[in-house]
Amino acid sequence: MEVGLLMLAGGIAAGAFGSILGLGGGLLIVPLLTLGFGLPLREAVGVSLVCVIVTSSASAGVYLQRRQANLRLGMVLELFTAAGAVVGGAVAFLIDERLLAALFALLLVYVAVTMLQALRQPAEEPATDDETPPHAHLAGEPGADRGTRQPGITEQDGGLVAGLGGPGYEVERLPAAALGSVGAGIASALLGIGGGLIKVPLMHLVLGVPLRVATATSNLMIGITASASALVYLIRGGIDAYVAGPTAVGVFVGASIGSRLGHRVGQRALRVLFVLVLVYTAIEMARRAAGIA
Amino acid sequence: MTPGPHATALEPALARVLQAGTYLSIGLVAVGSELLISAGGSPLAGGPALSLSRLPADLLALRPEGFLWLGVLGIVLTPALRVVTALLGFWRRGERAMAVVATLILAVVAAGVVSGLLTG
Repeated sequence: MEVGLLMLAGGIAAGAFGSILGLGGGLLIVPLLTLGFGLPLREAVGVSLVCVIVTSSASAGVYLQRRQANLRLGMVLELFTAAGAVVGGAVAFLIDERLLAALFALLLVYVAVTMLQALRQPAEEPATDDETPPHAHLAGEPGADRGTRQPGITEQDGGLVAGLGGPGYEVERLPAAALGSVGAGIASALLGIGGGLIKVPLMHLVLGVPLRVATATSNLMIGITASASALVYLIRGGIDAYVAGPTAVGVFVGASIGSRLGHRVGQRALRVLFVLVLVYTAIEMARRAAGIA
Repeated sequence: MTPGPHATALEPALARVLQAGTYLSIGLVAVGSELLISAGGSPLAGGPALSLSRLPADLLALRPEGFLWLGVLGIVLTPALRVVTALLGFWRRGERAMAVVATLILAVVAAGVVSGLLTG
C-alpha cells in the first residue's frame, strides 16, 4: 500500500514541478521510477509515455478550443514524428539499457544548461489564470503559453503547404522541419519524453511559426507521437499497468495543481533548486550507464 | 481544399474528443489504482499482462487490472481517435489533402502496432 501511495505522491510532485517549470513530464517521471523505485529504464520510459499522453491530450484540448494550435501544420508534422516514434519504439528494445541511460543523462545536462542560461535572462511576465490551460506546461514545452489568445488559425486557398500558415505568418522550409520531426519522434520513443524541447524550436526557428503557436501545436503533436511508440511498448510488454496507474493519476493531479500555482511560486529559487536536482539525476544516470550504480 | 461557406471549425470537436477521452480514461485508471492500493497491492509486484479477452471478466469482478488496462488503452488510443475525427471532418469539408495526411498518420500508427506484434 505504501509503495502505491508513494508512487501517487511522486507522480503528483513530478506533475506539479513539471507544470510550474514548463518542463516535460517524462524528464521527471523516468528518473523517479528508475532511481526512486528501481524500475528498469525501458519500463519507466513506457510508463512515462502514458503520462505524457495524458497531459498532452488535456492541454491540447484547451489549445484547440482557443484556436492557439495550428491543426493542419501539427498534423502534417506529426506524420513524421509518429514515423520517428515507431522507429524509436522498435529501436528501444534493441539497444542496451546503459546506452539509454547515457542518452538520458545527456538530455538532463542539456536541460540543466538551458535552464541556467534562462536564469540569466530577465524574468518574463507571469501568465494569468485564464490564459494558462491546465497541464499546459507539462508536455515538454519550455516557457509554454505565456501570452494572450492567438486569433483563429484560418484556412487558406492554394496547395497543402500554402494552407499550413496562419495569421501573419507563412510556413517555410517544411522538408527540414519534417526531418527534424522524425528526430523528435525517435527521441520521444527512446527517452519517454514529449519532445517539445525539439519541436518548439524547430517550428519557431526553422518554420517561422510564432512561439506561442509553436508551443500549442507541439502540445497537440505530442499526443499521437507518444501514442505511436506507447503502442509498441504496450504490445511488447513494456508497460506495467500497476505502475502506470498511480503514476498517471498522480501526474494528472499534480499538473492541475501546478498550472494553478505556477505564477504564485518564486520561479527563480525553484529553478535553481531544479537545476541541482537535474545535475544530481544526470550523475546518477551516468553512473547507471557506466555500470556502477 | 477550401471548405464550403457553412463548414464549421474542426477544432472544437477535436478538443471535445481529447478532453472526453482523457477524463474518462484517467477516471478508469483512478478507480483501478484505488482498488489496487486499498487491497494492499504493490505496483512493484508486477501487474498482469494485457489480455483483451480477460478484460470484461476483470471489470465485472472489480479487479484493479481490468480498470487499469482499460484506462491505459483509453489514454493511448485517445490521440488516434482525435486523428480519426479529424479525418472524417476534413473529408466532409472537402479537404482531401488533409484527409490523406490523417489517413497516413493512422497508417503509421497501425504499422507500429503490426511491427510490435511481429517482433514482440
